[in-house]
Amino acid sequence: MSMMSIRNSIAILSAAVLMAGCKAGGDNPGREYAPNMYHSVAYEPLSQITDTDAGRWANSLNNDRGEYYNSNGYNPYKMNMREPAPHTVKRNAYGWLPYHGKNVPKDSVPIVTAGLRSPLDSTAEVVAEGKFLFESYCKHCHGAKGEADGKVSEKVAGVANLRGSSYQNITEGHIFHVITYGAGLMGAHGSQVSPEDRWKIAKYVKALQKQK
Amino acid sequence: MFVVRIGFVHFIPGATWEGQQTKNKFEKMTWARRFVHLRIKGGILNHMMKRLMSCFTNRITSALLFLLIILNAQAQEISTDPAAISAGEALFKADCKTCHRVKEKLIGPALKDVEKRVPSVEWIKNWVRNSAKVIASGDEYANKIYNENAKSQMTAFTGYTDAQIMNVLAYIKAEGAKADVVATAATPAGQGGGGEGVPSGYVNAILVGMVVILIILVVILVLIVNALRRFLDQKQMSEEDREVVNSPISFGSVTSSPGFIFLVVFIVGMIAFKGVIDGLYSIGVQKGYQPKQPIAFSHKIHAGQYEIECKYCHTGVMKGKQANIPSPNICMNCHTQIKSGTITGEGEIAKIYAAVGFDPMTSTYTGVTKPIEWVRIHNLPDLAYFNHSQHVNVGGIACETCHGPIKEMDVVKQYSLLTMGWCIDCHRKTDVNTKGNAYYDKLLELHNSKKPMKVEDIGGLECSKCHY
Repeated sequence: MSMMSIRNSIAILSAAVLMAGCKAGGDNPGREYAPNMYHSVAYEPLSQITDTDAGRWANSLNNDRGEYYNSNGYNPYKMNMREPAPHTVKRNAYGWLPYHGKNVPKDSVPIVTAGLRSPLDSTAEVVAEGKFLFESYCKHCHGAKGEADGKVSEKVAGVANLRGSSYQNITEGHIFHVITYGAGLMGAHGSQVSPEDRWKIAKYVKALQKQK
Repeated sequence: MFVVRIGFVHFIPGATWEGQQTKNKFEKMTWARRFVHLRIKGGILNHMMKRLMSCFTNRITSALLFLLIILNAQAQEISTDPAAISAGEALFKADCKTCHRVKEKLIGPALKDVEKRVPSVEWIKNWVRNSAKVIASGDEYANKIYNENAKSQMTAFTGYTDAQIMNVLAYIKAEGAKADVVATAATPAGQGGGGEGVPSGYVNAILVGMVVILIILVVILVLIVNALRRFLDQKQMSEEDREVVNSPISFGSVTSSPGFIFLVVFIVGMIAFKGVIDGLYSIGVQKGYQPKQPIAFSHKIHAGQYEIECKYCHTGVMKGKQANIPSPNICMNCHTQIKSGTITGEGEIAKIYAAVGFDPMTSTYTGVTKPIEWVRIHNLPDLAYFNHSQHVNVGGIACETCHGPIKEMDVVKQYSLLTMGWCIDCHRKTDVNTKGNAYYDKLLELHNSKKPMKVEDIGGLECSKCHY
């Protein structure tokens, strides 16, 4: 009787040890309940699997690849994600065409951008949105008030003090240009910040400069 | 300034200066013309002194000149007045900090001891107001530092007054001196900090000590039992008592007792049962998944220490379904400059350079790129739909609500369950972020209740909202 109980408990114990392997942790993602659902059939740009044998045991498509394989073999490095086709332009909801000022020499920026006008009105709403965007994209270097006292400015050089005397007279177009293509040691932020958001940030920076 | 220059001529014979060329012409002029000429040349003091020196070469003049030099130097003395230093600090932080630090080189040189390096304080003033002009004038020192600093032109601060420049210099001098004090003061503080935590050696010593004490206790108890048995043996006892006293206590007699077996089986059985249930519940739940990534990127340093907003890199979070893994061109916004990491040194950042094709030695792009294969952590099965922008942009949910203390994670792990129960639970508890959103006006009107409108009230529990 007691030997039976011991045997039963050993059986349950080994089951528990086996089950413990289902738990995720470290490099182990854990046991998947329905692997065919976790591993998309469609191209997944953020979870690309290039190993053709991955998940062969769960194959439901009757092809010669593993179920988890998720790559586009026609692309370099079998990438699912691609850059936009060359010579195409991205247009936003307003139908704005992209701004092109890429190869403007550094000292010509004020001249080139002099005629560049913001398509947005200076409403409180736009400035408030600009503030939010400024705090998302600019604050860690330029500081909450634009005084170049963000945490990152301790580490990187060339962070402009937007409240400084030499920046007081820059136009919104100039700010828009600098966000898009960078200036001095600042990198180009055109890929991160949409044109509309850039104009909103420019509005906020001008508002910030007027603050006492 | 002029006096200093004359001093130069005076003490180093044979040095040439521009005034010499006009000497002969100058001798022939009338006094009035000479005066006008000198005004035009702008070197009136130079010429006056030259004349003086050619006329009076006695010691008294030299002594007077020397006195003048000292007086002039005193006028250019850098202030140690706290008011001047704090005014200078404000100016330095406003305009200089972009390119200069006091103790380290950034774009421009480190400014510590600048007043000792440059030809004169007057030179600094000219340089600050218009460095291009100083360089163009052929000034030797100006051209030297211009070339040393990769020919990057300093912004002209034309509006700076003498007093402002002197204040900035006062700040630089004070700060330069202060930095050394801080460095020396930091050393003993660092040494003192070592004794605060309990070293692991002590813990081990305490454990060993306790084990020794326990062994001694067992030995003492065995000795007592033996002594008692001997004492009882000497007494008159019945047979039954004698059997009890002399019965050997064996290990087998304890383990074979039904009570013991039941206890062991029960405890083992319960632990194992819990293990099985936990294991079954963890199927399909990837909470705790913390894979090693191809680049040892630390959120703790970037988002925590340097306070970079999540949205700066995860640009899709306000706009689309995915928050997105940033493209390495975003890394390069800072890492064109920062070539060595806080924890990992140069090795990990070199992997970004390899991906974007950047040569850190020449700071140029080679054009050869290679994608970084990050390991996805959070992965919902295809049967469920989730959209970041709906939650972060519309709902105003903070990233940490679902992703946990990401600002303290060196290696990111999945913090939340991401199960349906977990979603539903939050949809039941969370108020809809209706503030300033006209979309919800009508729904609020229809809700018409004193209780706040929860996500479940507007269909947050409907199957087809997420499963379709």
